[in-house]
Amino acid sequence: MIVKDAVCPFCGCLCDDIEVEVEGNRVVAVTNACELGTTKFMGEKRLKNPILRDGNEWKDITYDDAIRYAADMLLSAERPLLYGWSGTHGEAQCVGVHMAELIHGVIDNTSSVCHGPSILAIQEVGHPGCTLGVVKNRADLVIYWGSNPIDAHPRHLSRYTRYAEGFFLENAFRDRKVIVVDVRKTETANIADEFVQIKPGGDYAVLSALRAIVQGKTDTIPRTVAGVTREQLIRVANLCKSAKFGAVYFGLGLTMTQGKYKNIRNAIELISELNRHTKFTISAMRGHYNVYGSNEVNTWMTGYPFGIDFSRGIAFYNPGETTAVDILARKECDAALIVGSDPAAHFPRKCLEHLAEIPVVQLDPYPNATTAFCNVQIPVAVTGIDAEGTAYRMDGVPIRTRRVLSTDYLSDDEVLARMYALMQEAQRS
Amino acid sequence: MKVTLAMKPVTKGFIPIEAESIVPKNFLSGTDFSVWRGNRELRLDEAFSVSVEGSADRAEDVEVVLSGDTFRLKRVGEYMDGGKITVLGGIGMHCGNFMSGGTIEIHGNADGWLGREMAGGTIVCRGDVADYCASGYRGGRKGMKGGTVEVFGRAGDFLAESLAGGTVVVHGDAGDMTGAEMRDGTLVVHGNCSRPAANMKGGSCYVYGTARGMIPTFRKIGTVQHDGRTFIQFAGDLANRGKGNLFVKDYEYLD
Repeated sequence: MIVKDAVCPFCGCLCDDIEVEVEGNRVVAVTNACELGTTKFMGEKRLKNPILRDGNEWKDITYDDAIRYAADMLLSAERPLLYGWSGTHGEAQCVGVHMAELIHGVIDNTSSVCHGPSILAIQEVGHPGCTLGVVKNRADLVIYWGSNPIDAHPRHLSRYTRYAEGFFLENAFRDRKVIVVDVRKTETANIADEFVQIKPGGDYAVLSALRAIVQGKTDTIPRTVAGVTREQLIRVANLCKSAKFGAVYFGLGLTMTQGKYKNIRNAIELISELNRHTKFTISAMRGHYNVYGSNEVNTWMTGYPFGIDFSRGIAFYNPGETTAVDILARKECDAALIVGSDPAAHFPRKCLEHLAEIPVVQLDPYPNATTAFCNVQIPVAVTGIDAEGTAYRMDGVPIRTRRVLSTDYLSDDEVLARMYALMQEAQRS
Repeated sequence: MKVTLAMKPVTKGFIPIEAESIVPKNFLSGTDFSVWRGNRELRLDEAFSVSVEGSADRAEDVEVVLSGDTFRLKRVGEYMDGGKITVLGGIGMHCGNFMSGGTIEIHGNADGWLGREMAGGTIVCRGDVADYCASGYRGGRKGMKGGTVEVFGRAGDFLAESLAGGTVVVHGDAGDMTGAEMRDGTLVVHGNCSRPAANMKGGSCYVYGTARGMIPTFRKIGTVQHDGRTFIQFAGDLANRGKGNLFVKDYEYLD
């Protein structure tokens, strides 16, 4: 059986033109997806049933027992942490927020270690953004800043920028200019019309210099700024000012380097300045397929996008204090539920030392690095493969992922809903 | 009146205690209030050994002395408007947030957001302060609006972010993005710091040491004498409106 127009649940591009060939209960071929998406669709070696740590061994347990274990663990905790959420669908994220509120815990998603700084900057100065379709059809200048789509979002270039046709561009490949700004010559830099190489940690200075140049204050700029010559800065500023429609896409090279959200704020303020001359937009290259969705769900339910602390019964938000890395590094939580992410593969060692000391339950289809820190792991269906639900693309467009095969695994929202029901029951009695 | 709060040994790991009720004014009507450890409410005397000497009928005459392992005690002195809090050791995050009067003296180190959005009064920290000392809240346009913060040790990153009034003095070094987005008020760093006064709109920032990673969009005006020393004066940030003053003894660009 061939399933057409399947949605790829890998990166924030959320490509919705995938063809998946299914035989029996296995995916045997994937068309249109990039290598990353194909690997996810073809994924094998899932965990078969929930497991419980028993000394140095794993014991198979039932879903009922695993869900009961998680509910009891979270109910008895004084400061439970509910982390992850970017690798699951919106319906499951909703249950997660309700749960955090009920048990007075802290809920945080993976954006606190990726594009959280972008959100902090947007809260300061706003977000002049647009959907990907607008860029595809109109943009004649695209800037990738601190992002490397060839490796991380392979189809971004072919669907929306460098290699895409545009309705308002006669010859998109020739008319559309691409600028890449990075600390090293990446694969994406090789296909750019202009490559700006910045010394590590110099993004803020370069953005400030560009802002001043766009305002015509060129004379105070030193001869080089973070390794970039004044001549090149002036050339880039002129390219931007002479574009009809410019779009900036930035990645973790900007959000996770020195200065963090101040880099993004400076980039957004550059875009504001450019909008006095022409039309310009800026957007984040979101990583997980539904990390945008977890920010969206958290915001409409609590008012804040990530790092929400319900300890006192009301939502309190302060990244740096209520975010997972900070809480774990300071040993400030006493239980953790991990859903749809793999913190053990990404967090600093200090955080993992605390994760090893507290009870941890994980919902994930596969054994991963975090499994080593778990007391219980509950395998679930994979959204977009054997579960369906809503995900938000990197530009904020909600897309319903489809089920391409059916298995006996429960989905994230089914497991979480049962956990939540047990908690409600316990609170009532 | 002198209230002494000796923190009892923390029974459950490192879970922080939120104690916004520890404000001099509250002790005028007794000591029957609560603090929170994670999601659990505790009576003040469950977390502290409380002793009260003398009496008072206005906040100005109340001194609260905190001792013990108070480095995980958050929000002490929040919205304080008079009296004195003395912390014999270190203090946790958000000490003196929104305070408008009175004095907080910390003998040890202070954690993040010391004196966030304060409007008046005095905070003295004899040790080091972590990030966001005398800053604003996430997404806020104005940080500290008035009063004085004096730190005898070092300061972390984002010191006096969005400073909008008052005076901040750090005797040691400060971290990255010192005085970012500042719009008014005075910031003095006696040591070195990194990228001072980035995107400043107004106010004055003095760096008695070296400004590392100097932002390239500041215009050099000349040299001036201040406090018996020679400073190089800059106007900036030109990327913004450029109406602030930055005075540095020495500077290095990331060129």
